[in-house]
Amino acid sequence: MKKRRITKKSRTTIIPWLALITFSMAELLIYSWCRVQYVQTGYEINGARQEYHHLTALHEKLKVEQAQLRSPERIKRLAKKQGLVIPNPNQVVVLP
Amino acid sequence: MKIYRKKKTNRTKWIRFRIGVVSIVLALSFGVIIGRAVQLQIFKQTELSQKAISQYKTALHRMPRRGTIYDRNHRELAVSISITSIYAHPKQVLSQKRTATTLARALNLEQQLLSERLSSDKGFVWIKRHATPREVSAIRKLDLDGIDFVAESKRFYPMKTLAAQVIGFCGIDGKGLEGLEYYYNRFLSGQGTKWTVFKDALGRSFNAQKPLTESQNGYNLVLTIDKNIQHITQTALSEAVKKFSAKSGMALVMEPHTGAMLAIAHAPEFNPNIFAQYEPQSRRNRAITDCFEPGSTFKIFLGAAALESGLCTRNTEFDCEDGRYKIGNSVVHDVHSRGVLSLQDIIKYSSNIGAAKIGNRIGEEYLFDRLKAFGFGTRAGIDCPGETPGSVLAPEDWSDMDALAICFGQSVAVSALQLATAVSAIANDGVLMKPYLVQAMTDQNGRIVKAFQPTRIRRVISSETAKTMGLMLERVVAKGGTGQKAALSGYTVAGKTGTAQKVDSQTNRYATDKHIANFVGFVPARDPAIAILVVVDEPRKQCYGGIVAAPVFSQIAKESLQYLKIPPELITPKETDSIRASTETSTWAG
Repeated sequence: MKKRRITKKSRTTIIPWLALITFSMAELLIYSWCRVQYVQTGYEINGARQEYHHLTALHEKLKVEQAQLRSPERIKRLAKKQGLVIPNPNQVVVLP
Repeated sequence: MKIYRKKKTNRTKWIRFRIGVVSIVLALSFGVIIGRAVQLQIFKQTELSQKAISQYKTALHRMPRRGTIYDRNHRELAVSISITSIYAHPKQVLSQKRTATTLARALNLEQQLLSERLSSDKGFVWIKRHATPREVSAIRKLDLDGIDFVAESKRFYPMKTLAAQVIGFCGIDGKGLEGLEYYYNRFLSGQGTKWTVFKDALGRSFNAQKPLTESQNGYNLVLTIDKNIQHITQTALSEAVKKFSAKSGMALVMEPHTGAMLAIAHAPEFNPNIFAQYEPQSRRNRAITDCFEPGSTFKIFLGAAALESGLCTRNTEFDCEDGRYKIGNSVVHDVHSRGVLSLQDIIKYSSNIGAAKIGNRIGEEYLFDRLKAFGFGTRAGIDCPGETPGSVLAPEDWSDMDALAICFGQSVAVSALQLATAVSAIANDGVLMKPYLVQAMTDQNGRIVKAFQPTRIRRVISSETAKTMGLMLERVVAKGGTGQKAALSGYTVAGKTGTAQKVDSQTNRYATDKHIANFVGFVPARDPAIAILVVVDEPRKQCYGGIVAAPVFSQIAKESLQYLKIPPELITPKETDSIRASTETSTWAG
């Protein structure tokens, strides 16, 4: 009878402790998971930022290349090679 | 029993002694630990905290992107590109001599210079700024201790010499040093930003704090310059300067109705990507900063003043004294001797004697007032640095010779911009417009931050006078006029030639072999779309504006009008009908 009372008493004491420990562990795990996710997202953001800068730099380079290709000097040189000339005003037909 | 008790007492004492010793040792150890903790936590707290922070936190500075400069059709004239620079932490370099030798070989630099830099006491020294991708790749492969890389921004001008003097250039730190780059530097440069990044054990960044200051890239500039017209103008001018072995040249193309500058060309040209290789003289925007005596092109404004005064009409006659006119001690000559000429013929044949007599009739004060109204002697207010106001003396400071010489464009100094702006006023029905180079400022998304509208300065002459002047200037380009070579098939042209003697800086007198040949006009004369000025300085083979500058005007006008899709106006209705008929026939046949 005495033994049973002790078991019951100890059970009532252990349960809140177990709950507390479980809650603490869960909180710790959730916190750790959040931290890991936070760091992981940080890496991803950083990666995306680097990608953005890389693409921006590439875009700038392509713009420069396009500008150089559109340079009037180059186009005039190519046109001359093709035998193209600037027409005289009397050769221009203006359509109504 | 007694012996046993004694033994027990001794043992207890020994145990107590040992406990005491251990306690003391422990107390001392704790004392040392506490002392060390106090030293670290209290006395060295700041220093150690900083050290810890530096291991997991890095402050990053991002330089703002300098705004792009576009032409009027949003084509890039100046852009900023990312480029890598190489630097060193001299204290981290293991073998200075070996590193200097390796770097010198890879970067084609002087070994002595690199050795000096690497043996410096500084924590940071540049090895090479704006290195080429190949150089950067080579140095990365070498994996040298204490050598690192940093991304920087470099200004690049993809059109090279195109409008170089107008746009200007930037120094190695990206600061505008000349031209529009200098004038609009505070808008182009933007504002940098600074923020903190956390690093892991491998040095990888994984989190960034909110920037301490908001970043703002520089604004873009949209110019009024048209890269194609600029190219046409530069090519035509450079060819003329080369053909006549001239010292230099300038040419301007302007929209008379708005004051927008379509082209400002200089010869010789310079490449702003390698500006240090050129003389400062060739880098200046001389069309705006320098002034010169315009010669006979100034008769346009004398003629306009004469008509506006009401004292003359285009048919008022003056005796041109058969080419030689003496007033006091001064003698004025004409190139060709002529007798009586009307005002419009004085302009057509560019008679200096006739001009002097017109000036005498309208009076010094009135002439001076009209010249000031045309903008001579004052800055036009263009958005470019270093604009000259030119020089027009007040009538009370004129000598007898000045009063004569001003009438045919000597004893007066004007800038190319002033001359082009003033003739544009005649093309614009007598209204003077403020010349401008930037039509808008946009942000990095292309949204307009500020737009610049054409600005009317004042009405200089009446509409009627402007129209009459236009007709008179058409006669200059017609058969027998001094500017025949400016004539253009299919279009009416109004303009005036000018040939001015230059002052010899050594003798301080007009040199007989140094001239400025120029031509200024507008086209089409009846409905002007562009005003063009061509100035050629010290041509050697020929000196007359009608021979040296007028053909350049014609070439620029021809190509620019076609580019601007302005149809020829002098095709007869008969021709138009036949062209239309042939077009319709071919269309039906097709």
